[in-house]
Amino acid sequence: MRTNESSLVEVSVCGEVWPAAAARDPYKATSEGRAAVTLGMAGISFRNRVGDPAFGWEADHLEPGVSIRNRDDGAEHALHYLACMGNDAVVTSGACRGARGTVTGEHAHVLVDFPPSSIELLAIGDQVQIRAFGTGLALLGHPDVQLHKCSPRLLDALRLESAPDGRLQVPVVAEIPSHLMGSGAELMADYVDQDFMSGDRAEMARLGLDRLRLGDIVVVRDQDHTWGRGYYEGAVTIGLIIHGDSAWTGHGPGVLDLMSSRSPAIVTVDDPDANIAWRLGLRDPATESIREPGAVSSYAAIEKV
Amino acid sequence: MFDNREQLVGVSVQGTIVSPEYPPLPATPYVIGADGRPQLLPSQGGIVYNVRVGDTAFGWLADLVQPGVSIRASAEPANQALNVLSCLGNEAIVVSGMATGERGTVIGKSGRFAEHVIVHFAPETLEQLAIGDNVLVRAFGRSLALTDYTDVQLKSISPQLLDALEVEPAGPGVLTVPVAAEVPAFLVGAGSGLMHESGSIQIQTEHKSPLAEHGLDDLRLGDVVAVRDYDSRWGNGYLKDAVCVGVVVHGDSPRAGYGPGLTVIMASTANRIRPVVRGERNVAELLGLRGSVEAAA
Repeated sequence: MRTNESSLVEVSVCGEVWPAAAARDPYKATSEGRAAVTLGMAGISFRNRVGDPAFGWEADHLEPGVSIRNRDDGAEHALHYLACMGNDAVVTSGACRGARGTVTGEHAHVLVDFPPSSIELLAIGDQVQIRAFGTGLALLGHPDVQLHKCSPRLLDALRLESAPDGRLQVPVVAEIPSHLMGSGAELMADYVDQDFMSGDRAEMARLGLDRLRLGDIVVVRDQDHTWGRGYYEGAVTIGLIIHGDSAWTGHGPGVLDLMSSRSPAIVTVDDPDANIAWRLGLRDPATESIREPGAVSSYAAIEKV
Repeated sequence: MFDNREQLVGVSVQGTIVSPEYPPLPATPYVIGADGRPQLLPSQGGIVYNVRVGDTAFGWLADLVQPGVSIRASAEPANQALNVLSCLGNEAIVVSGMATGERGTVIGKSGRFAEHVIVHFAPETLEQLAIGDNVLVRAFGRSLALTDYTDVQLKSISPQLLDALEVEPAGPGVLTVPVAAEVPAFLVGAGSGLMHESGSIQIQTEHKSPLAEHGLDDLRLGDVVAVRDYDSRWGNGYLKDAVCVGVVVHGDSPRAGYGPGLTVIMASTANRIRPVVRGERNVAELLGLRGSVEAAA
C-alpha cells in the first residue's frame, strides 16, 4: 500500500499517568433511570488491556491500560491531536523509566498499553512520552479515503488491500449501523471517539455487538467522518473500539475514527481476528488466557420498562 | 386529563443577553463544514432581529441561529439552573435597561452547544434591548406530570404549552401528540449522549435527500416534532419504540452531525407516545407569539 510516510515528521508529545476523578456527588441516572456510580476512566487499569471484551465490566467507559494526560492545555491538545494509534510510548520518569508501550486509544485520556510486568511499579504522575508519527498520513492510491490517527505501523497491521475494482479493502470484525452512532457526533473526527449507543440491549444481542473486544476494527456504514461526524448515505467509516461500554443513554463502547470516505471508496471483508491487540503483537491468545465475551454488566441486565 | 400543576413551584432564574462569541486568537473564527470548507458565519447569541420563531429553520447564513434573544447567567451553577429550570412557554421579563418591564416567552434551550436559554420578544421590544440586559424567567413546569400517564415524562414544558399541544388519550397509558413531522432516529446527530434536561438534539442535514423523504426540509423554528425510536427519559439515545417530542429551537448548520435542534418536551418508551402528523404545529401559533397580521403576511 503506497503512502506518503517518507514525508511525515516524527515529534514528541507527552503526558502523565492521570488519576481517576469523581465528583463529590457521583451519582448519575442510568438509561433505565437508576442511580449508579461507575468508574472506569483514567489511572492504571491493572486488570484490563486492549483485547479484552468491551462489554460485561462493572465500569463506565473502561479505559484499558494506562491513561495519560498533560496538565498544560496546549500540550494536552497536541497530545490528543498528534498521538496516533500504534505509536511507540516510553515511560520517562519514576520506577518504570524506560518501559515501552503502544498507543491504543484516545478518549478523555490517551490510552497506552504496556506489558504488565513492565509497569508493576508505575505511579500516578509518572511521565509517558510518545513518538507521535502519522499526522498527515495518506494512501496515495486512494485519494477519497481520509486517514485519522493512523500510524504507519497500524496501517501495516490492518492488512489493507486494494480490491479488484480499485477500492480500498479493510478487514473488520463487525459492522455498526449508522443509527447507533451517539455521543461524539458533536465533535470533529480528529478529536477523541464517538460512542455507539448500547442502551437497546436487545439490539446489541441481535447484532452481536455485545461480543466486541477492545481493539476490534469495525465499519460504520453511512457515516461521513472525513471532517465532522454525520449521516451520509454511502459513506464508509472504519473505526477502532477503544473503550468499554456505558450505563448512560446515548453512550456505549467508543469508536475511534481511523479512516473515512464520503463516497463508497472503502469495502470491507469479515475478519474475526481484526484486533490490534494481536495484529500489533501486543498480546498473544496462543500463549495467554484472554477473557471471552459474554458477561453482562449489572446495569445492562435490567429489564426495559 | 389531569396533571400535578397545583403542586409545582414557580421560581425565578435569570440571565443576561449574551454577545455572539468566537474562540480567542490564535484560533480561527471559521466553522468547518461537513465538506471540509471553512466558513465565517454568525455564531449563536446576541439579539437576532430578523429571525424569529415561526420562520424557516433552513437557509440562514448562520451557524445554529437562535431566534430572538439568547441569555446566559454568568456563574456556571446559576446558568445550569437557568437552563434546567426554564420551560418552553415560561414568561420572561426584562429587568434592566431601556426595555425594563417588557415581557417575552421562553422558546428554547441550546444546552451544551451554547448553554443559552432562547427568548422570544415582540419586534418593538427587540429594538430597545441591549447586550448585557438582564432577563428574568419565571420558571414553572419542571416535574410536571400527567396523572394517568406516569410513564410519559414531561420535560422543559410549561403547563401553558402542555395545554396548547392538544394531546389526547389513546388507551391505557398511551397518548397521541399532534406534531408537524416525524424524525427517524438515524437523523439525530449531535446531542445523543449529552445533557437532556437543558439542551438540544440535532436533526443532521449533511445528506439532503433523507430530509426531503421525511418531510423535514421545510421545518420551521418552533415546530413540534417527534423522534421515533429515541429514548430521552434519562439521557438521549437510540431505543426501539421509544418516542420523544421536541420543539425546533435553532436553525441549520453546515457542520457534519448538526442541523436544526430540538429541545425535548416529552419522552417515553414502548410506543406510549403516538405522534400524529398534522401539518402546522408550531409554538408561535400554539402560544400566540406572533400577531395574526404578521402570520398572514
